Amino acid sequence: MQTSKKVLKEKILLVGFPSNGLVGTFTVSYLIHNLEMSQIGEIEHPDLPPTLFVEDGEILPPIRIYKKNNIFVILSDLPFDPFVAYDFAESILDYSKKNQIKKIIIISGMETVNRDPKTPKIYGLVTHKSLEKLLYDFRISKFLAGSIFGTDAAMITSFRKSQIPALILYSECHPFFPDPEASITAITTLARILDVKIDTADIQKKIEWLRIQHRNLMEETIRSLQQEKKVGRPPQIYR
Amino acid sequence: MVKDDNKSEIRISPPTISSLLSDDIDQRTLSPLSCLREFETNWLLEFDLPLVNKNDIKITINENSISVEAKLKESYLEEKLGVKTKFEYFKKTLTLPRKIDDKKTTAKFNKGRLTIKIPKAASGHKIQIR
Repeated sequence: MQTSKKVLKEKILLVGFPSNGLVGTFTVSYLIHNLEMSQIGEIEHPDLPPTLFVEDGEILPPIRIYKKNNIFVILSDLPFDPFVAYDFAESILDYSKKNQIKKIIIISGMETVNRDPKTPKIYGLVTHKSLEKLLYDFRISKFLAGSIFGTDAAMITSFRKSQIPALILYSECHPFFPDPEASITAITTLARILDVKIDTADIQKKIEWLRIQHRNLMEETIRSLQQEKKVGRPPQIYR
Repeated sequence: MVKDDNKSEIRISPPTISSLLSDDIDQRTLSPLSCLREFETNWLLEFDLPLVNKNDIKITINENSISVEAKLKESYLEEKLGVKTKFEYFKKTLTLPRKIDDKKTTAKFNKGRLTIKIPKAASGHKIQIR
Protein backbone atom coordinates (compact mmCIF):
# COMPACT_ATOMS: atom_id res chain seq x y z
CA MET A 1 0.00 0.00 0.00
CA GLN A 2 1.97 2.95 -1.23
CA THR A 3 -0.77 5.37 -0.33
CA SER A 4 -0.28 4.92 3.42
CA LYS A 5 3.34 6.12 3.28
CA LYS A 6 2.36 9.09 1.16
CA VAL A 7 -0.55 9.92 3.45
CA LEU A 8 1.66 9.65 6.52
CA LYS A 9 3.92 12.49 5.39
CA GLU A 10 1.01 14.82 4.82
CA LYS A 11 -0.76 16.72 7.54
CA ILE A 12 -4.14 15.10 8.14
CA LEU A 13 -6.98 16.40 10.25
CA LEU A 14 -9.48 14.02 11.87
CA VAL A 15 -12.82 15.42 13.01
CA GLY A 16 -15.26 13.82 15.46
CA PHE A 17 -18.46 15.16 16.98
CA PRO A 18 -21.63 13.63 18.47
CA SER A 19 -23.83 12.14 15.74
CA ASN A 20 -25.48 8.79 14.94
CA GLY A 21 -24.48 6.20 17.54
CA LEU A 22 -21.81 8.63 18.85
CA VAL A 23 -19.45 6.88 16.44
CA GLY A 24 -17.34 9.99 15.76
CA THR A 25 -16.99 10.78 19.45
CA PHE A 26 -15.97 7.25 20.47
CA THR A 27 -13.57 6.81 17.54
CA VAL A 28 -11.72 10.10 17.86
CA SER A 29 -11.57 10.00 21.67
CA TYR A 30 -10.07 6.53 21.52
CA LEU A 31 -7.46 7.59 18.97
CA ILE A 32 -6.43 10.57 21.10
CA HIS A 33 -6.07 8.30 24.11
CA ASN A 34 -4.35 5.45 22.29
CA LEU A 35 -1.90 7.60 20.31
CA GLU A 36 -1.24 9.76 23.41
CA MET A 37 -1.96 12.97 21.50
CA SER A 38 -1.43 16.37 23.14
CA GLN A 39 -4.05 19.08 23.35
CA ILE A 40 -2.78 22.16 21.49
CA GLY A 41 -5.84 24.39 21.31
CA GLU A 42 -9.57 24.85 21.41
CA ILE A 43 -12.39 26.28 19.29
CA GLU A 44 -14.88 28.72 20.81
CA HIS A 45 -18.25 29.76 19.46
CA PRO A 46 -20.53 32.41 20.98
CA ASP A 47 -23.68 30.42 20.13
CA LEU A 48 -22.62 27.30 21.98
CA PRO A 49 -24.03 26.95 25.47
CA PRO A 50 -21.34 27.84 28.01
CA THR A 51 -20.00 24.42 28.93
CA LEU A 52 -16.80 23.13 30.46
CA PHE A 53 -15.84 19.60 31.40
CA VAL A 54 -13.62 18.71 34.33
CA GLU A 55 -11.51 15.59 34.11
CA ASP A 56 -9.13 14.66 36.94
CA GLY A 57 -9.30 18.27 38.12
CA GLU A 58 -8.40 19.64 34.68
CA ILE A 59 -10.78 22.07 32.94
CA LEU A 60 -11.55 21.01 29.38
CA PRO A 61 -13.33 23.17 26.77
CA PRO A 62 -16.00 21.34 24.72
CA ILE A 63 -14.21 21.64 21.34
CA ARG A 64 -10.54 20.76 21.53
CA ILE A 65 -7.64 20.44 19.08
CA TYR A 66 -5.01 17.72 19.49
CA LYS A 67 -1.83 16.89 17.60
CA LYS A 68 0.81 14.23 17.30
CA ASN A 69 3.36 14.26 14.47
CA ASN A 70 1.43 14.88 11.25
CA ILE A 71 -1.98 13.97 12.71
CA PHE A 72 -4.29 16.72 13.92
CA VAL A 73 -7.62 16.07 15.65
CA ILE A 74 -10.62 18.27 16.35
CA LEU A 75 -13.03 16.71 18.83
CA SER A 76 -16.31 18.18 20.00
CA ASP A 77 -18.08 16.84 23.06
CA LEU A 78 -21.12 18.99 22.28
CA PRO A 79 -23.67 18.23 19.57
CA PHE A 80 -24.51 21.13 17.26
CA ASP A 81 -27.66 22.61 15.86
CA PRO A 82 -27.49 23.26 12.07
CA PHE A 83 -26.59 26.94 12.39
CA VAL A 84 -23.55 26.28 14.57
CA ALA A 85 -22.60 23.38 12.29
CA TYR A 86 -21.87 25.73 9.37
CA ASP A 87 -19.68 27.92 11.54
CA PHE A 88 -17.95 24.83 12.92
CA ALA A 89 -17.19 23.69 9.36
CA GLU A 90 -15.78 27.12 8.47
CA SER A 91 -13.64 27.15 11.63
CA ILE A 92 -12.23 23.75 10.68
CA LEU A 93 -11.41 24.99 7.17
CA ASP A 94 -9.74 28.16 8.49
CA TYR A 95 -7.67 26.10 10.88
CA SER A 96 -6.77 23.63 8.13
CA LYS A 97 -5.61 26.38 5.76
CA LYS A 98 -3.47 28.03 8.43
CA ASN A 99 -1.85 24.70 9.30
CA GLN A 100 -1.36 23.42 5.73
CA ILE A 101 -3.63 20.42 6.30
CA LYS A 102 -3.79 18.35 3.12
CA LYS A 103 -6.70 16.05 3.94
CA ILE A 104 -9.62 16.05 6.33
CA ILE A 105 -11.29 12.87 7.56
CA ILE A 106 -14.64 13.12 9.31
CA ILE A 107 -15.82 10.08 11.25
CA SER A 108 -19.53 9.59 11.61
CA GLY A 109 -22.27 6.99 11.88
CA MET A 110 -24.73 5.77 9.29
CA GLU A 111 -28.20 4.82 10.35
CA THR A 112 -28.91 1.28 9.25
CA VAL A 113 -31.74 -0.53 10.92
CA ASN A 114 -31.42 -3.93 9.30
CA ARG A 115 -27.65 -4.27 9.24
CA ASP A 116 -25.82 -7.50 9.84
CA PRO A 117 -24.88 -7.14 13.51
CA LYS A 118 -21.89 -9.48 13.13
CA THR A 119 -19.90 -7.20 10.87
CA PRO A 120 -20.65 -3.49 10.84
CA LYS A 121 -19.60 -2.05 7.53
CA ILE A 122 -17.87 1.20 6.75
CA TYR A 123 -18.53 3.49 3.80
CA GLY A 124 -16.61 6.43 2.42
CA LEU A 125 -17.77 9.61 0.74
CA VAL A 126 -15.23 12.00 -0.78
CA THR A 127 -15.63 15.69 -1.59
CA HIS A 128 -12.93 15.68 -4.29
CA LYS A 129 -12.12 13.03 -6.90
CA SER A 130 -8.48 13.06 -5.81
CA LEU A 131 -9.45 11.03 -2.73
CA GLU A 132 -11.24 8.26 -4.61
CA LYS A 133 -7.96 6.36 -4.93
CA LEU A 134 -7.77 6.26 -1.15
CA LEU A 135 -11.13 4.46 -1.03
CA TYR A 136 -9.84 1.96 -3.55
CA ASP A 137 -6.45 1.44 -1.86
CA PHE A 138 -7.99 0.82 1.55
CA ARG A 139 -10.94 -1.17 0.24
CA ILE A 140 -13.54 1.17 1.66
CA SER A 141 -16.96 0.81 0.03
CA LYS A 142 -18.15 3.98 -1.63
CA PHE A 143 -21.28 5.52 -0.13
CA LEU A 144 -23.52 5.43 -3.18
CA ALA A 145 -27.02 6.55 -2.19
CA GLY A 146 -28.85 8.03 0.77
CA SER A 147 -29.73 11.32 2.44
CA ILE A 148 -27.33 13.49 4.41
CA PHE A 149 -28.55 16.30 6.62
CA GLY A 150 -27.62 18.29 9.67
CA THR A 151 -24.04 18.69 10.83
CA ASP A 152 -22.59 16.27 8.26
CA ALA A 153 -24.36 18.05 5.39
CA ALA A 154 -23.12 21.45 6.60
CA MET A 155 -19.55 20.16 6.71
CA ILE A 156 -19.69 18.50 3.31
CA THR A 157 -21.26 21.59 1.73
CA SER A 158 -18.43 23.76 3.04
CA PHE A 159 -15.67 21.29 2.25
CA ARG A 160 -16.85 20.73 -1.32
CA LYS A 161 -16.19 24.41 -2.05
CA SER A 162 -12.78 24.30 -0.41
CA GLN A 163 -9.39 23.36 -1.84
CA ILE A 164 -8.85 20.78 0.90
CA PRO A 165 -10.32 17.37 0.07
CA ALA A 166 -12.29 15.55 2.72
CA LEU A 167 -13.23 11.93 3.29
CA ILE A 168 -16.30 11.19 5.36
CA LEU A 169 -16.12 7.73 6.92
CA TYR A 170 -19.54 6.37 7.77
CA SER A 171 -19.68 3.34 10.03
CA GLU A 172 -22.96 1.42 10.17
CA CYS A 173 -24.52 1.88 13.57
CA HIS A 174 -27.67 2.10 15.60
CA PRO A 175 -28.74 5.73 15.24
CA PHE A 176 -30.39 6.22 18.62
CA PHE A 177 -28.20 4.18 20.95
CA PRO A 178 -24.49 4.67 21.71
CA ASP A 179 -22.67 2.21 19.46
CA PRO A 180 -19.00 1.77 20.48
CA GLU A 181 -18.88 -1.47 18.51
CA ALA A 182 -19.45 0.47 15.29
CA SER A 183 -16.62 2.80 16.24
CA ILE A 184 -14.20 -0.14 16.38
CA THR A 185 -14.73 -0.60 12.64
CA ALA A 186 -13.91 3.09 12.15
CA ILE A 187 -10.83 2.87 14.40
CA THR A 188 -9.34 -0.08 12.51
CA THR A 189 -10.02 1.61 9.16
CA LEU A 190 -8.39 4.84 10.34
CA ALA A 191 -5.40 2.92 11.68
CA ARG A 192 -4.83 1.52 8.18
CA ILE A 193 -5.19 4.93 6.52
CA LEU A 194 -2.89 6.66 9.01
CA ASP A 195 -0.48 3.72 9.05
CA VAL A 196 -0.46 3.56 12.84
CA LYS A 197 -0.93 0.64 15.22
CA ILE A 198 -4.00 0.91 17.39
CA ASP A 199 -4.96 -1.84 19.81
CA THR A 200 -8.76 -1.97 20.17
CA ALA A 201 -8.73 -4.42 23.11
CA ASP A 202 -9.41 -1.66 25.63
CA ILE A 203 -12.55 -0.34 23.92
CA GLN A 204 -13.78 -3.88 23.27
CA LYS A 205 -13.67 -4.57 27.01
CA LYS A 206 -15.60 -1.39 27.80
CA ILE A 207 -18.38 -1.57 25.20
CA GLU A 208 -21.22 -2.17 27.66
CA TRP A 209 -19.98 0.42 30.15
CA LEU A 210 -19.59 3.05 27.42
CA ARG A 211 -23.17 2.46 26.36
CA ILE A 212 -24.44 3.19 29.86
CA GLN A 213 -22.11 6.12 30.49
CA HIS A 214 -23.03 7.95 27.28
CA ARG A 215 -26.83 7.80 27.54
CA ASN A 216 -26.88 11.47 28.45
CA LEU A 217 -24.80 12.60 25.47
CA MET A 218 -26.82 10.35 23.15
CA GLU A 219 -30.05 12.01 24.23
CA GLU A 220 -28.61 15.51 23.81
CA THR A 221 -27.38 14.52 20.36
CA ILE A 222 -30.79 13.19 19.34
CA ARG A 223 -32.34 16.45 20.47
CA SER A 224 -29.91 18.35 18.20
CA LEU A 225 -30.47 15.98 15.29
CA GLN A 226 -34.24 16.36 15.66
CA GLN A 227 -33.81 20.14 15.34
CA GLU A 228 -31.66 19.56 12.29
CA LYS A 229 -34.32 17.39 10.71
CA LYS A 230 -36.99 20.03 11.27
CA VAL A 231 -34.84 22.78 9.78
CA GLY A 232 -32.80 21.02 7.16
CA ARG A 233 -34.94 18.32 5.67
CA PRO A 234 -37.09 18.97 2.63
CA PRO A 235 -40.73 17.89 2.78
CA GLN A 236 -41.32 14.28 1.64
CA ILE A 237 -43.14 15.38 -1.49
CA TYR A 238 -39.97 16.93 -2.93
CA ARG A 239 -37.70 13.97 -2.28
CA MET B 1 -26.47 12.56 10.03
CA VAL B 2 -26.94 10.00 7.33
CA LYS B 3 -29.81 7.75 6.59
CA ASP B 4 -29.97 4.87 4.17
CA ASP B 5 -33.18 5.50 2.22
CA ASN B 6 -33.75 1.92 1.18
CA LYS B 7 -36.13 0.96 3.99
CA SER B 8 -39.69 -0.03 4.54
CA GLU B 9 -39.85 1.96 7.73
CA ILE B 10 -42.44 4.70 7.59
CA ARG B 11 -41.98 6.64 10.81
CA ILE B 12 -39.61 6.87 13.71
CA SER B 13 -40.35 8.06 17.19
CA PRO B 14 -36.93 8.66 18.68
CA PRO B 15 -36.24 8.23 22.35
CA THR B 16 -37.71 10.70 24.73
CA ILE B 17 -35.28 13.16 26.21
CA SER B 18 -36.53 12.67 29.70
CA SER B 19 -34.93 9.35 30.58
CA LEU B 20 -32.05 10.87 32.51
CA LEU B 21 -34.43 12.84 34.62
CA SER B 22 -36.23 9.62 35.39
CA ASP B 23 -33.20 7.77 36.78
CA ASP B 24 -34.29 6.91 40.29
CA ILE B 25 -31.48 7.34 42.82
CA ASP B 26 -33.57 6.03 45.75
CA GLN B 27 -34.54 2.86 43.90
CA ARG B 28 -31.07 2.58 42.27
CA THR B 29 -32.83 2.35 38.91
CA LEU B 30 -31.60 3.65 35.54
CA SER B 31 -33.95 4.63 32.74
CA PRO B 32 -32.75 2.85 29.56
CA LEU B 33 -32.64 4.51 26.15
CA SER B 34 -35.48 3.35 23.93
CA CYS B 35 -36.98 4.08 20.54
CA LEU B 36 -40.19 3.23 18.77
CA ARG B 37 -40.41 2.83 15.00
CA GLU B 38 -43.54 2.37 12.95
CA PHE B 39 -43.65 -0.07 10.05
CA GLU B 40 -46.47 -0.97 7.70
CA THR B 41 -47.83 -3.84 9.79
CA ASN B 42 -46.11 -3.47 13.15
CA TRP B 43 -44.34 -1.26 15.66
CA LEU B 44 -40.75 -1.98 16.64
CA LEU B 45 -39.78 -0.96 20.14
CA GLU B 46 -36.12 -1.17 21.15
CA PHE B 47 -34.44 -0.80 24.53
CA ASP B 48 -30.70 -0.47 25.03
CA LEU B 49 -29.89 -2.77 27.94
CA PRO B 50 -26.11 -3.19 28.26
CA LEU B 51 -24.78 -5.19 31.23
CA VAL B 52 -27.94 -7.28 31.31
CA ASN B 53 -28.52 -11.04 30.90
CA LYS B 54 -31.54 -12.24 28.94
CA ASN B 55 -32.92 -14.16 31.93
CA ASP B 56 -32.95 -11.04 34.11
CA ILE B 57 -35.40 -9.12 31.92
CA LYS B 58 -39.08 -8.85 32.73
CA ILE B 59 -41.52 -7.45 30.17
CA THR B 60 -45.13 -6.63 31.01
CA ILE B 61 -47.54 -5.49 28.33
CA ASN B 62 -51.19 -4.52 28.17
CA GLU B 63 -53.15 -2.68 25.52
CA ASN B 64 -52.05 0.74 26.77
CA SER B 65 -48.50 0.39 28.03
CA ILE B 66 -45.39 -1.72 28.22
CA SER B 67 -42.93 -2.01 31.11
CA VAL B 68 -39.40 -3.37 30.99
CA GLU B 69 -37.38 -4.17 34.09
CA ALA B 70 -33.89 -5.67 34.04
CA LYS B 71 -31.29 -6.42 36.67
CA LEU B 72 -27.73 -5.36 35.86
CA LYS B 73 -25.18 -8.17 36.06
CA GLU B 74 -22.77 -5.71 37.73
CA SER B 75 -23.56 -2.55 39.69
CA TYR B 76 -23.07 0.68 37.78
CA LEU B 77 -21.61 3.54 39.84
CA GLU B 78 -22.47 7.08 38.79
CA GLU B 79 -22.11 10.44 40.48
CA LYS B 80 -25.11 12.73 40.11
CA LEU B 81 -24.99 16.19 41.68
CA GLY B 82 -22.21 15.10 43.99
CA VAL B 83 -24.01 11.96 45.14
CA LYS B 84 -22.45 8.62 44.22
CA THR B 85 -25.09 6.00 43.49
CA LYS B 86 -24.76 2.31 42.75
CA PHE B 87 -27.42 1.50 40.18
CA GLU B 88 -28.66 -2.09 40.09
CA TYR B 89 -31.61 -2.05 37.65
CA PHE B 90 -33.01 -0.66 34.42
CA LYS B 91 -36.69 0.22 34.46
CA LYS B 92 -38.98 2.03 32.03
CA THR B 93 -42.68 2.17 31.22
CA LEU B 94 -43.92 3.51 27.90
CA THR B 95 -47.36 4.32 26.55
CA LEU B 96 -48.13 2.24 23.48
CA PRO B 97 -49.76 3.39 20.25
CA ARG B 98 -53.45 2.57 19.84
CA LYS B 99 -54.80 -0.42 17.96
CA ILE B 100 -52.09 -2.97 18.66
CA ASP B 101 -52.30 -6.73 18.97
CA ASP B 102 -50.59 -7.23 22.33
CA LYS B 103 -51.28 -11.00 22.29
CA LYS B 104 -49.05 -11.48 19.23
CA THR B 105 -46.18 -9.36 20.53
CA THR B 106 -42.73 -11.00 20.37
CA ALA B 107 -39.36 -10.06 21.87
CA LYS B 108 -35.70 -10.76 21.07
CA PHE B 109 -32.57 -9.95 23.01
CA ASN B 110 -29.21 -9.70 21.28
CA LYS B 111 -25.97 -7.96 22.33
CA GLY B 112 -27.72 -6.00 25.04
CA ARG B 113 -30.52 -4.73 22.82
CA LEU B 114 -34.09 -5.75 23.45
CA THR B 115 -36.31 -5.64 20.36
CA ILE B 116 -40.06 -5.95 20.79
CA LYS B 117 -42.23 -6.41 17.73
CA ILE B 118 -45.80 -5.31 18.29
CA PRO B 119 -48.23 -6.13 15.46
CA LYS B 120 -50.89 -3.58 14.57
CA ALA B 121 -54.45 -4.77 15.09
CA ALA B 122 -56.34 -5.37 11.88
CA SER B 123 -59.00 -2.72 11.50
CA GLY B 124 -61.25 -1.12 8.93
CA HIS B 125 -63.84 -2.60 6.58
CA LYS B 126 -64.11 -3.21 2.87
CA ILE B 127 -65.82 -0.75 0.56
CA GLN B 128 -67.42 -2.05 -2.57
CA ILE B 129 -66.83 -0.22 -5.84
CA ARG B 130 -70.01 0.26 -7.80
